[in-house]
Amino acid sequence: MNLKKVYIKLLGTLSTAVGVMIVLFLSSEQQVHYNNAFSRRYPPHPIIKKYYMDLGFNSYYIAGADKNNLYLGNSTAPWHLLQVDLNTKDTFHLKLIPQNRDLSYRSLQIKVLSPYFFVMDGTIPFILRGRLGEWRADPWMYGRAYFSKALPIDSNRIMIRTISTQTQRATLGMITREQGVSVHLDTTILKPSIDGIMDVDGELNYAHDTNMAGYLHFYTNEFLVMDNTLSQIIRRTTIDTTKWAQIRLAKKSREQGVQISAPPVIISNTGAIADDLMFINSDRLGKNEPNNNLEEIAIIDVYNWKKGTYEFSFSLNHTKKEKLREFDIVGNRLVSMQGNKLGIYHMVEKYFISNK
Amino acid sequence: MKGSKKIYAWFPFSISMLCAILFIYAATSKLMDFQQFKIQLGQSPILTAYADGLVWMVPITEYVLALLLLKDSFRLVGLYATIALMTMFTTYIILVLNFSDYVPCSCGGVLEELGWTEHIIFNLAFIVLSIMGIVLLESKTKPKPTQP
Repeated sequence: MNLKKVYIKLLGTLSTAVGVMIVLFLSSEQQVHYNNAFSRRYPPHPIIKKYYMDLGFNSYYIAGADKNNLYLGNSTAPWHLLQVDLNTKDTFHLKLIPQNRDLSYRSLQIKVLSPYFFVMDGTIPFILRGRLGEWRADPWMYGRAYFSKALPIDSNRIMIRTISTQTQRATLGMITREQGVSVHLDTTILKPSIDGIMDVDGELNYAHDTNMAGYLHFYTNEFLVMDNTLSQIIRRTTIDTTKWAQIRLAKKSREQGVQISAPPVIISNTGAIADDLMFINSDRLGKNEPNNNLEEIAIIDVYNWKKGTYEFSFSLNHTKKEKLREFDIVGNRLVSMQGNKLGIYHMVEKYFISNK
Repeated sequence: MKGSKKIYAWFPFSISMLCAILFIYAATSKLMDFQQFKIQLGQSPILTAYADGLVWMVPITEYVLALLLLKDSFRLVGLYATIALMTMFTTYIILVLNFSDYVPCSCGGVLEELGWTEHIIFNLAFIVLSIMGIVLLESKTKPKPTQP
């Protein structure tokens, strides 16, 4: 009879212990997924390195991809395009030719969106378009709109970031060419906090499988996802807690314009969007992360923008001299540009199924 | 009678000593490599959000339990607490293995060589031993106050 009491006490102890653990588990799960606890989770090996390819130059950038080919532009050889067959590792050196040979340009950027390629310069401004395989670039837009960033989203539309003449602030917009060229700007998407130019600086991303566009802020923890008409804007935050851009601006003179006067706190370096997932490379360290390893690894955080959740993180090896510059998702591959190297990684499917 | 009386005395005592040694070892090895422990706890998939507090709580609790177990007058409480802690740890392992998004790289600290399954068996053994200790201790001490 006394033993009965003891057993009840034991049972009580056991079930309380189990209960406490389960509650802890459930609430921790909740917090990590939805709150800004800012601690990362690293599942083992969500990506597997396939191979590195030495390109010989560090001036290559990702211009685009189709199913098995990656196209790389080169900022110091602006009319040169490198095609890399990701399966066979064959490379093809291509030369683009403008229809108008006397074309003057300042900073060319090439983007590939199969079956077209686009040659763009936002400072002149002009956009040329040509077919892959023909390699001749014909005029597509000339002089209609200046832009600082541009990303073709289909054969007739190019998403841009420019300065609105109305608000004098950075603005997202779209250049469309149907009968003629039309430019549409939406000044409400980017919300200024300091000057509306530097503080909202960021990167354009586009997911061709779902036709969703992304805008990744460099200096705040926000990223935007919108459809291909720049409407239905979804605002999401990263696991970082920096809401306001931490940059200090100085105006030296009217001619020189505004300059950043102190090193800014960069929250997000570069990103990619694919399916329901947003991939963001960030050098910000979370809780319990050793601070000396950023010279060896580049951390990429994975978010599900549809659900508004942080999923997990993984890292790519790089060196201080050969830091990750940019990366993109091509099917189930992740391609990275670091130093002179192109890195190809296989994405393990079970981690990247967006609706698990 | 004599033999069984002896077992009432020495069994709970040795169990307690065993547990105390285990706890002291576990806590000390955590503190010895505190930075590592902190990182591992933070990356454990279940406790991430509470890692800051737990990183101190766990070794302190282990030391306190060891003290309770070593002291004659607190041994019973100590054994109950041991069961609670061991059950929590076992539950944690089961949750990690079954319900977590991923299984963390088997963390070190205590008994690094053990796999997760071995760890569960190891824990269960300690729980069972502690329960036996409690039952013996309770049936030894309880009758006295109820008799008069």
